[in-house]
Amino acid sequence: MTRLRIKIVGQSGMGLLSVGEMLIDAFNELGLFVVCDREYPSLIKGGYSCFTINVSDERIFSLSEFADVMVAIDNVSLNQYFDFLVKDGVLIHGMEKAISIKQISEKAIGKNIKVININARETSKASGGSVLMQNTVLVGMAWKVLGIDIGVIETALKKRFEGKINIIETNLRCVKAGYDSVVSENLATGLVKKMSVKKSEKKFLIDGNKAIALGAINCGVRAYFSYPMSPSSTILSYLAEMSGKTDMIIKQAEDEITAAQMALGAMHMGTRAFAATSGGGYDLMTETVSLAGMLENPLVIVVGQRPGPATGLPTWTMQGDLNLAVFSSHGEFPRIVLAVSDPIDAFYLIQHAFNFAEKFQIPVIVLSEKTICEGKINVLPYDENAVDIERGLVSEEELKDIKREDRYALTETGVSKRWLSGDSEVYYFANGDEHFVDGSLTEEADEVEKMYEKRMRKIETIKKTLPKPEIFGEKNADISFVGWGSSKNVMIDTIAICLEKGVKVNYLHYSFVWPIDGKSLKDFFSKNKNVHLIEENYLGQFGNLAEAEIQEKFAGRLLKFNGRPFFVEDLIDYIDKNSKK
Amino acid sequence: MSENVLKKLAGNVKDYMKFETEKPITWCTGCGNFGIQNALKRALALEGIVQKDVLFCFDVGCSGNGADKIEGYTLHGLHGRVISLAAGAALANSDIKVISFGGDGATFSEGPGHLIHAVRSNYPVIFVHHNNENFGLTTGQPSASTRKGVRMNAAPDGVFLEPINTMDFVLSLKPSFVARGFSGDIDYLTEIFRKALRHDGFAYLEVLQTCPTYNRDTPEHWYAERIKHIEDAKNYDSSDIWQARKLMQDIENEIYTGVIFEDKSKVNFLRAIPNRKNAKTVLKDEVKKYSISEFL
Ligand SMILES: Cc1ncc(C[n+]2csc(CCOP(=O)(O)OP(=O)(O)O)c2C)c(N)n1
Repeated sequence: MTRLRIKIVGQSGMGLLSVGEMLIDAFNELGLFVVCDREYPSLIKGGYSCFTINVSDERIFSLSEFADVMVAIDNVSLNQYFDFLVKDGVLIHGMEKAISIKQISEKAIGKNIKVININARETSKASGGSVLMQNTVLVGMAWKVLGIDIGVIETALKKRFEGKINIIETNLRCVKAGYDSVVSENLATGLVKKMSVKKSEKKFLIDGNKAIALGAINCGVRAYFSYPMSPSSTILSYLAEMSGKTDMIIKQAEDEITAAQMALGAMHMGTRAFAATSGGGYDLMTETVSLAGMLENPLVIVVGQRPGPATGLPTWTMQGDLNLAVFSSHGEFPRIVLAVSDPIDAFYLIQHAFNFAEKFQIPVIVLSEKTICEGKINVLPYDENAVDIERGLVSEEELKDIKREDRYALTETGVSKRWLSGDSEVYYFANGDEHFVDGSLTEEADEVEKMYEKRMRKIETIKKTLPKPEIFGEKNADISFVGWGSSKNVMIDTIAICLEKGVKVNYLHYSFVWPIDGKSLKDFFSKNKNVHLIEENYLGQFGNLAEAEIQEKFAGRLLKFNGRPFFVEDLIDYIDKNSKK
Repeated sequence: MSENVLKKLAGNVKDYMKFETEKPITWCTGCGNFGIQNALKRALALEGIVQKDVLFCFDVGCSGNGADKIEGYTLHGLHGRVISLAAGAALANSDIKVISFGGDGATFSEGPGHLIHAVRSNYPVIFVHHNNENFGLTTGQPSASTRKGVRMNAAPDGVFLEPINTMDFVLSLKPSFVARGFSGDIDYLTEIFRKALRHDGFAYLEVLQTCPTYNRDTPEHWYAERIKHIEDAKNYDSSDIWQARKLMQDIENEIYTGVIFEDKSKVNFLRAIPNRKNAKTVLKDEVKKYSISEFL
């Protein structure tokens, strides 16, 4: 498997995002598989940022920590990231005074790194471009270095700026000036040439937040309530942007408490609605989650995780809020926690979240992570009919004979009949206080016990219904892993890389994290002798829940909690040390 | 109550009775909540609104304990949050009248943010503020509307802070409908409820509510001596916000009730939100598969 690794580094606000976006557009145009993610500090201007792109002719999901090619927009960021540029790599920059990067130049010689430099600002100006369009010059330089036909990047640029003729013209001139400035002995064509481009169906670049937004639209969500918080804020922007066509109600609420309450009220009334936030915002929503538990009212909340506690690292990634999702809110009640891993499954899992929330009349918490929220891959068109809508509402027939006592009837499965305000003359009380079968208040010991047990019986019903975790990789593995969320991405890539080296790796992935399917886990343990945990937090939260569930211990734990996602190298190192080969 | 209204009510007595519960009521004898619920049921019957047409949303508190004491679809939420819960419900199905109830603790301590933004957003919701000037259900602690100097549970030396002028506060938010009633003036309160039911937008209706157990400072007769009807205010124009605010400054001597302010030009949230101006259906009936290919 060939993997081309590019990092674009620069200060926030200098346009590195647009350099990255132009490049990934062009790679997508070529038919290659793209993964990208960006690192940036929690501020609008300044600070160092990095846009990482990995490209391959096979489907890859995760990133390498290192780069073959680095495009530097400014000196500060270059100093910060230079060490990630590999030996024999290429450094492209457009800074005027080579002197300001003297130290870097010396290091570059030591690592046999080719430095390619023109005065990008002057080149942009000479081509009729602005200062900011020096970025397009850099894109042109990079494209030539990679040895790819200029036509591809030109097409990508035209699409990007569709309809803005003047902007296209200048950008095309800038990209060409950059392209032409690189002389042929400086080409590093090897990497891309080796990739065999299969012309496949058109793919679309998309991040996890947009996938969630689209999945929600696809499954009939009609209202979205949210208070902005990284890394979930763009769900709000995406849905708002599309609302002119979807006619959804998109409301920026005054706080997360409101967002959750409005979503709950809207779901109570029978539409599909949700709220998204991050850990800190979810803290504020927890009382509403508890209310949903008591009312047996469907509720869906998406939590884009970032490292805490408190404000923590607002723009970085983590899997630190699993315990929060599983144990949040006062009282005991059934819930489902599911976790997306990439923009592909996010589209489908959000739809399952609504089906489960409605069928079981429970809160469902959907965990995402910064690296999924904002990281993009290029996907084939989604199967829009893959998930049917399941509302769990009574049929017209059933409604005719409905009785008030049906609403919270003490059923075997724990799930009782649900109908909506105004659907029938037969009303019920949806009561946040403990209640009888019709919802009217009770504090009688026997009645309380019965209702409590009825609600909790859903846990078993849910366990029987939840899809099983998925196994990736080889039988008779030298090392096995269990994990959830974005860990899947690095695992799938690692399994392939290790196989080329003759090391067999497999991985058990949980999309439906809670309640844990212990049976599948026990099975996996019995078939694999060297099972490790992979998780992005300090405590090994899922690991602890899993061990408690099956009373067995992981052979080891690969944990990371510095705000960076797992890179392929993290896994390779760990496997080198721990595989039983 | 005029003869005409009485007749109409007599005609709709069946609808009225449907809202009546047979369950034992848990409010104290003399509690203002009786009067409020009574007026509400009358107003519903008079306006021809039947059980199926309405959702009652309750906060937590003594007022909230009415959640299963009125027969109809009810939703009993959390303390301080009822306005947002009701707003979500109303946006999902505007064919149903959504009426919400909360105390002064809920409204002006636990959740004033919700009130502020509901007024601003002009959600199609009626909010009834049960102002009994204390935290009833938690046994009589002071609220933000307890008068200065009054001794309360947990305030043995008397409340030393000034109360919030709740009416003036809401009026400062450019509301579309603000009314005030008194729990002991049921006929008049009924008429206020009827106007609130006809209002298209967020209707803030504050009811000065007697609390014989914890509010001995302003008992029934104290209010009775001071309550005035807005129709009796000279040259009063209920579309003039400054007149309204001025009139609401007095919470000691002449306490005016009725529809204090109304801005009929303000459209409710569902008709203000640009992308739903021409919507013919309600969100509840729009749940189905939608194609997303154009957004990729
Ligand atoms: C989050 C939360 N905090 C505190 C309480 C306890 N509590 C119940 S009712 C109430 C205050 C009631 O006062 P008010 O809202 O004025 O209503 P009233 O009982 O006077 O009608 C409080 C503090 C609660 N239920 N939930």
